[in-house]
Amino acid sequence: MRPLHLFVLCSALGLVACSPSDPRQSASASLANDMLLPAYQAWASASAQLPVSAQALCATPQPADNALPQARQDLQTAQRSWAALQPLQLGPLSEGNRAWQVQFWPDKKNLVRRQVENLIDQHPALSRAQLERASVVVQGLSAYEYLLFDSQLDLARPADRQRYCALLGHIAGHQQQLSAQILAELQGEQGFLKHLQQFPNTRFAEADEALAELLRAQVNGLDLLKKKLGTAIGKLSKGIPQPLQAEFWRSQASLDSLAAAVHSAEQLWQGQADQGIASLLDDTQQPLRQRIDQAYADIRQQLAALQQPLDKLLSNDAGRAQLDALYVSLDRLHRLQERDLAGALGIQLGFNAHDGD
Amino acid sequence: MLRTPLATASLLALAITLAGCGESPAPSTQAAPTANSASSAPFEQAAAQAVVKHYADLALAVFSDAHSTALALQQAIETLLAEPNEANLQAARNAWLAARTPYMQSEVFRFGNPVVDDWEGQLNAWPLDEGLIDYVAAGYDHAQGNPGATANIIANQTIQVGEDSLDVSTLTPQLLASLNELGGSEANVATGYHAIEFLLWGQDLNGSAAGAGNRPASDYAQGEACSGGHCERRAQYLRAATELLVSDLAEMVGQWQANQTGNYRASLEAEPAANGLRKMLFGMGSLSLGELAGERMKVALEAQSTEDEHDCFSDNTHNSHYYNAKGVQNVYLGQYQKADGSLLSGPSLASLVAKIDATADQQLQADLQATDKALQAMVDSAEQGQHFDQLIAADNSAGQQIVRNAIAALVKQTASIEQAAARLGISDLNPDTADHSF
Repeated sequence: MRPLHLFVLCSALGLVACSPSDPRQSASASLANDMLLPAYQAWASASAQLPVSAQALCATPQPADNALPQARQDLQTAQRSWAALQPLQLGPLSEGNRAWQVQFWPDKKNLVRRQVENLIDQHPALSRAQLERASVVVQGLSAYEYLLFDSQLDLARPADRQRYCALLGHIAGHQQQLSAQILAELQGEQGFLKHLQQFPNTRFAEADEALAELLRAQVNGLDLLKKKLGTAIGKLSKGIPQPLQAEFWRSQASLDSLAAAVHSAEQLWQGQADQGIASLLDDTQQPLRQRIDQAYADIRQQLAALQQPLDKLLSNDAGRAQLDALYVSLDRLHRLQERDLAGALGIQLGFNAHDGD
Repeated sequence: MLRTPLATASLLALAITLAGCGESPAPSTQAAPTANSASSAPFEQAAAQAVVKHYADLALAVFSDAHSTALALQQAIETLLAEPNEANLQAARNAWLAARTPYMQSEVFRFGNPVVDDWEGQLNAWPLDEGLIDYVAAGYDHAQGNPGATANIIANQTIQVGEDSLDVSTLTPQLLASLNELGGSEANVATGYHAIEFLLWGQDLNGSAAGAGNRPASDYAQGEACSGGHCERRAQYLRAATELLVSDLAEMVGQWQANQTGNYRASLEAEPAANGLRKMLFGMGSLSLGELAGERMKVALEAQSTEDEHDCFSDNTHNSHYYNAKGVQNVYLGQYQKADGSLLSGPSLASLVAKIDATADQQLQADLQATDKALQAMVDSAEQGQHFDQLIAADNSAGQQIVRNAIAALVKQTASIEQAAARLGISDLNPDTADHSF
């Protein structure tokens, strides 16, 4: 096995870092620098905007007219940048349940509303420390979305600002801090991104392991997208749509989130300057590459053709047919990557947390 | 075949995305690569076949115990209904608890075996919107968009679900089975252990404080002493749900009987032995990681959600978790302690793995033991008065640690299950599930 030989050679020569002549090492390094880093930076910078607009909205005695629209827009930017990380959940984001602190899904029983209201009832003058001790349900974008978009709330009203502004500000602060912390752990000499570039290191013995980790994150991300769309269109409920079980349904951001996630999965596949996972298939495996390319192209086209938000599409036959077709395409892509691609690259994906029921 | 360590943390982090009961692993568009042809397998075919055969013996024994303890539950419920008093209610609750012990050890046979996976929803679906079945307290919260969440079958002769009006005047096992997932909501669970649990205990209104459900026996009293209203209908409901449970379990026992043409066991034993091993390992890993560690513990823990507790009415969750994990150990070690106390043992997966790689076997055995210990701590806590729903309370960091330790042990054991699978040359852990829809 070539990577192993390289590893042995590097060790024998006592080199700290091999020159990235191994395709798996250069793919992993390129994806770390050209894909993961900018995606996580975008998320951190979108999260850093949240406290700014939250503060403006909660200004006393009276916020500016555009403060609420601005806060909503900043949330949607954060949602999109977060969605783009769905197929890139590895390293520091995958540890210590941090992803749950950003988004709580599925929320079958509207825990977001219940826990937000209970928290504020218990702590009318909520402190940041009290939020940090509360459950993940109230710490993230799902609760933030409830505050800004729920039909029962209106932060243009002074009474609602009075009740909810402390929580709004603390969630914004929590998201800013969390995203900055994760970005810091990715970067630096001991950062996760370095572990994707130079082998062996404390996390990966060789490039193959890093690559397996990247593929696993991507495949799990696609599986998650299937779950999210499938739940909303009724795959778990005898075909009866469940619009209130969709992610980010209050802000109608479900399909935008899906598109952002598929886009970054495709970037991981293609890479910059053909340095993605696709580049690792050899000449005999080009038909598989073409099938996966085509699967991404199909999904892109279908997403572009959706002219309405998810809940509207779910309310008519034509829309439901479009979403069903999209699900089939996502499923095909997931299968191609999970089975055919993993097999072609000789990577065992192992048990997936989705294997439960 | 390249083998890399499982990135368990990232996988478990995704566990919250599991959507709920009744869903199955994805179908495959093409046949799974089967690297285990007789010539290249690292184990002896005859030995592997003996392991698979004994696996079927274990399943038969576990499901037989589940059936016999359900019969005892049925008897206790008949006694309760004939004479509804607190002592008889307690006896029925004890019989339910006893029936859970073998059933929870049967769940490791799900996932890999479609005959079990497709069947189990009617018996163990959870969590449920109990307002479908009976009266609930004010402020009851249910799944969003569930049109049947407050249907209250017991109190009504007809129920309205969306535009449909359903006649529920005669409560039969078949009628109740047809009401599962009513209106498309998976929270509509009309049958099974948890419906019966609700009818015996009632809602647990204590949140994260001490105490389980506290339904009075008078909910089954006929005539003026009846509490909660509609006691006759409640009794009919409980009787019908129990009858269905018993007959479902009898059917599953039949699927695992030896030497029966056309049952599931016959087809399992006719497959190449490697497929049987794959099903065993897939069940062990799926139950350990996605289901028990993820769906049944982590969601409740991280969301501080007592309604996501598994046995939420009876506060028996610690035992359910313990015996789930015991089931995983049973399959690996090829042993099962029957309800009558006797030990069934025979050719094991452990012995197959040990022949190829003694270290991998020892590691997995040590991990299974560590999980047993971590879950024993949860059982001990409950027996000392602090149950699962108290452990996950916001301010109970010591309690949360008990749950975290159990999750960590299960995550670790999953990695060792993968390792063992790799040693056996089982590369694709996902058995062919082409007959599933999701």
